[in-house]
Amino acid sequence: MKKVLVLLILASLLAMTSVAIARDVVVAEPGQEVRMLLLPKFLGILVFDEANQGALEAAAELENPAPLIFDGPTPENSVAGQIEIVTNAVTQGIQALMISNNAGDQIAPAAQAALDAGLTVVTWDSPIPSAVGEQVFVAQVDFNETGKVLADMALSILGEEGGQFAILSASPDAANQNAWIAAMQEVLASDPAYANLELLTIVYGNDQSEESYNQALGLVDAYPELDLIVAPTSVGGPAAAKALQDEGLCGEGTDNSVVVTGLMLPSEVLAYVENGCIPEFALWSFVDLGYLTYYVTYLLATGAIEAEPGVMFEAGRMGTYEITEDPTRENGLRVLMGPFSIYNIENIYAAVGMEAPE
Amino acid sequence: MTAIRRLVRPEQLREISLLILIVLACLFFSTQINGFLSGRTFARVSTSVAIITVVAVGQTLVVLTRNIDLSVGSIVGFCAYFVGMQFTFDRTIPPAAAVAMAIGVGALMGGFNGLLVAYARVPAIIVTLGTLAIYRGLLVEYGNARTVTTANLPSWLVGLQPTNLFSIGDIDIRLMAFIAIVVVLVFQLGLGYLQFGRRLYAIGSNPDAARIAGIPARRTVFLAYVMCGALAGLGGFMFLVRFGDITIVAAQGLELQVVAAVVVGGVNIFGGSGTMFGAMLGAVMIGTLEYSLTRMTWISQFWKDALLGGFILAAVAADAIILTRIRKFWARTELTLAAPVSETPEVRRAAGD
Repeated sequence: MKKVLVLLILASLLAMTSVAIARDVVVAEPGQEVRMLLLPKFLGILVFDEANQGALEAAAELENPAPLIFDGPTPENSVAGQIEIVTNAVTQGIQALMISNNAGDQIAPAAQAALDAGLTVVTWDSPIPSAVGEQVFVAQVDFNETGKVLADMALSILGEEGGQFAILSASPDAANQNAWIAAMQEVLASDPAYANLELLTIVYGNDQSEESYNQALGLVDAYPELDLIVAPTSVGGPAAAKALQDEGLCGEGTDNSVVVTGLMLPSEVLAYVENGCIPEFALWSFVDLGYLTYYVTYLLATGAIEAEPGVMFEAGRMGTYEITEDPTRENGLRVLMGPFSIYNIENIYAAVGMEAPE
Repeated sequence: MTAIRRLVRPEQLREISLLILIVLACLFFSTQINGFLSGRTFARVSTSVAIITVVAVGQTLVVLTRNIDLSVGSIVGFCAYFVGMQFTFDRTIPPAAAVAMAIGVGALMGGFNGLLVAYARVPAIIVTLGTLAIYRGLLVEYGNARTVTTANLPSWLVGLQPTNLFSIGDIDIRLMAFIAIVVVLVFQLGLGYLQFGRRLYAIGSNPDAARIAGIPARRTVFLAYVMCGALAGLGGFMFLVRFGDITIVAAQGLELQVVAAVVVGGVNIFGGSGTMFGAMLGAVMIGTLEYSLTRMTWISQFWKDALLGGFILAAVAADAIILTRIRKFWARTELTLAAPVSETPEVRRAAGD
């Protein structure tokens, strides 16, 4: 009996090393205790809750005996609150931090202190711009790809003959939205396929329903020829669609003369996809983002991988990923998740877990 | 002339000077923006100002008593979200029950403010700054990262925002604007003719004198806060109707717009003077400026807030200058009508010299 056991262990060890040599992909060893904290930009927004669900799923798979802590600041106290939570994490015995940074480089000293104290620090969704205090950034999508996706959706809605569109963004200093818009403008300028798409203006709704709604009304008043509003923000999109619907520009009983597209959450725009105000939109899965982030952090915290370019690892159901240099920042490493999911009336019911009506 | 002078005092002309300024602003913007003087502009401004106006009426009640309520933005957000969530659970809630729920929750929150300010004697700005955070915190906790979406709201509710009651020529009077006008009228009459309304002025003018005169100051201030909360609750319901998609940041910062409307509308921040019409005109003034700036697409977004601030300052300054002129004019006519005894000290004081 003992011999069989030894043989089994030897065989499995051999199998593991042979896999490691063959593909050089690190697989996590479940059951190790790591006290991990998932820190969203702020509490109370669905996308971050979805990320938490994904992280919990990964935690269950990896059988981490320590419960995952999901904690964040309130919306109006986001920046100071995040820094405070990172600072306190060290003394509270947290071993690994997963941060969706909303504080720019202001959070760097606190994150660096946590790193120096032996914690694992990973960012997700939004990185630390200078990469100081962060080991690796788990990026949802490639920012250049976002521009291409936005341009493609505008083209598919407006068709070959094209039309006029405006962008309704979040705040004028939101780093990710600005990068996406710049990437979209680059795509529009570089490829003749988009020559008939005319970008009229960019306005900002500051991620508030009220301001986004008013800005959408201002757009249709200022540009009578407007065909489309592109909103790369999950708040701005539905607000613009509601404004257009209220004005009888889109929805049932209208000719959908002005419609909306952009980056939004399926569950929040179902009504507008049904009535035609939002024919098509895109987003990545925040559940997957949380899941992948948990795997990366667990592997780093248990010492299974180092934060170095070229390191490959397996993230459960999502498959194999590689740590690379981050091309969108001067310093820093990233794990790129991707790709986009494009939603329309065909697949939105499945995405929100509903039966499509007959 | 004497009869008119007896009826109208310079303070009551405040609203007229503000009205003149709004007309001037509209004339100016009509030279800058194509098709500005149209029914469409009226519909835009009147519906976007409706919510602010209703909440500003409540705020005026409180400000008249020399207090302030900074928690109204959080109350509006909480009520909008709370009622929206009830519809998510049960779509068959009747309209009257939904409105009553919003007003009731708002009144409760206002009552808590009122208890602390009127009975516990904590300064209003501290109490309401605290409850601003507390009510928003309650919303974050209650919200649990869910969003109220239009898909979960009954169709009658979603259809209220574009509802047009009647049209006068090119101008549509939408339901939302009508509600605001009714609220302003009712509370203006209440201020002028009810004992409660006059007490608010008395307390704000001189709290000690009001108490000595036997006015139940605590109860009156408490009631002012309850009503302010109730109106914020009604504003929350209107917010839900207008925007449909409610997140936990709903109406964040609304309190500043409301206080701005009240102050621009000539309600004295130190209590004792001001009218509901003034508060409404203040809201209309700011709403007109905001909408016009949105339409002026050639102005950079980064400058718009600064410009809005500048316009508001200019409006308040112009208002003050016009009012001083009118006062002096009044004093002068008083002087010519009253007697040839011209330069008496009383007259000089009345002239504001």
